[in-house]
Amino acid sequence: MSERQRLRVCSESELAPGDRIVRDLDGLSVGIFNVHGRFYALHNRCPHRGGALCRGPVTGTALPTSDFEFVYGREGEILRCAWHGWEFDIATGHSLVDPRIRAKTYPVEVADGDVYVVI
Amino acid sequence: MPLNPASPAPPAGRSPAVKSRRMIDCDVHNSWSTSAVLLPYLDPYFRDFLERGELPGGRDSFPHAHRPWLHPEGYMRTDAIPGDGGAPGSDYDLLCEQLLDRYDVEYAILTGDEAVEASTLANPYLASALARASNDWTLEEWTPRDPRLKASLVVAPQDPPGAAAEIRRLGDHPDVVQVLVSSGSERPYGDPFYHPIWEAAAEVGLPVAAHLGAQGGINANPTGCGPPTFFWEAHALLCETGMGHVASLIAHGVFEKFPNLRFTLIECGVAWLGPILWRLDADYKALRKETPWLKRLPSEYAADHIRLTTQPLEQPKDDAHLRAALEAIDGERTLLFATDYPHWDFDDPELVRIPREWRERVFSENARELYGLPVRRDDRAGAAQPVV
Repeated sequence: MSERQRLRVCSESELAPGDRIVRDLDGLSVGIFNVHGRFYALHNRCPHRGGALCRGPVTGTALPTSDFEFVYGREGEILRCAWHGWEFDIATGHSLVDPRIRAKTYPVEVADGDVYVVI
Repeated sequence: MPLNPASPAPPAGRSPAVKSRRMIDCDVHNSWSTSAVLLPYLDPYFRDFLERGELPGGRDSFPHAHRPWLHPEGYMRTDAIPGDGGAPGSDYDLLCEQLLDRYDVEYAILTGDEAVEASTLANPYLASALARASNDWTLEEWTPRDPRLKASLVVAPQDPPGAAAEIRRLGDHPDVVQVLVSSGSERPYGDPFYHPIWEAAAEVGLPVAAHLGAQGGINANPTGCGPPTFFWEAHALLCETGMGHVASLIAHGVFEKFPNLRFTLIECGVAWLGPILWRLDADYKALRKETPWLKRLPSEYAADHIRLTTQPLEQPKDDAHLRAALEAIDGERTLLFATDYPHWDFDDPELVRIPREWRERVFSENARELYGLPVRRDDRAGAAQPVV
């Protein structure tokens, strides 16, 4: 296994809550997201069919209900793949339908006002 | 034998290291951002309908009756929106980048986008005028740009005389490779009402295709027990129209009447065809007296005359189940590869589960035979290269 690298993405101020940046980090396409002030990084490749996951819309979703109600929530926490629309939890990479399906995530560190991804 | 194991797709965003593969994509949606592109191709009478008449959306929208199921996320790949914010499929350069160049496509069979929805209109004359304008637009604005692009001739099935006239008007254009209708229809396509269309197609030597869509307006509900409720529920069941058309075309003897006619179902599913043909064969054997013009079993007509595009190929958990379904219809000879770019249920050619030893036929040779397409010498495509 190769050495893990800590690569600078941008300054904290360049990635406001609700924003995302998709960057090529040492040959790897990674999406970095600011969700309600916390930073997350996901591989820009959908585990379903390899689509451009991080180019898809960031949305909320229908919360699971057992009473046949429609409850919208988690605004800004869900990433939908640009190809087939599968939903993923940005914070964990888990598919909302089947948590065993997971988009690759990377640790994000913030130091001295800069955002870094560890790959 | 196992299906071709999914090779890893090039990570999106990384420079795609795409293998060179001869591929004919049989369902590529060239689109417009505004129906106003049709104005120069409409005569003043019908132009007035677009300029001054009621439209189903904004002033840019295309006259049609929409299906009653609205896709909750829009039905396009969201990474296929061009830089100008236009409609996915409307930008030639992006089409090259995301499909033609990326996957080394030898030919893309253009199927338009909204044009087949003209079949939902009650006014058959307006529907045929819109189909004609759309065909002229495709043959002026798309196919001359790139020798990889081939056109489908959209016709309005609710206007058989108009549809037949359109086939005779443009059927011998060198860039036209098939006649296209929607799978949504007023009645099953074997009905004698439609025979003038199939007669014209057979006369000019073009195969016919029905593309999934146009489940609104005058067209029949696509499921027999009444309308489904949700989009995903309906979308999964739209294949039912394909079953009805196959049964009807065979039962009405369309392939006895027009022996050189071939009929392709685009985006109508694949895995159901085998079991439906088993049922048709069984019932025909008992009740052939209803259709004395038939001389062969339904499955035998299907083998020679019915073709299916692969996308969206069913995805069972067990590859062996898919393999069995494809073998039941001799998929090596009857399937045509398609991506459906730039729609939301796009199939990636690198990942689609076609048996490895069938790939040459399914990815290119079945389509080459059906459409009579010559082998392109300039494999790396390029619009500037003439095709010999």
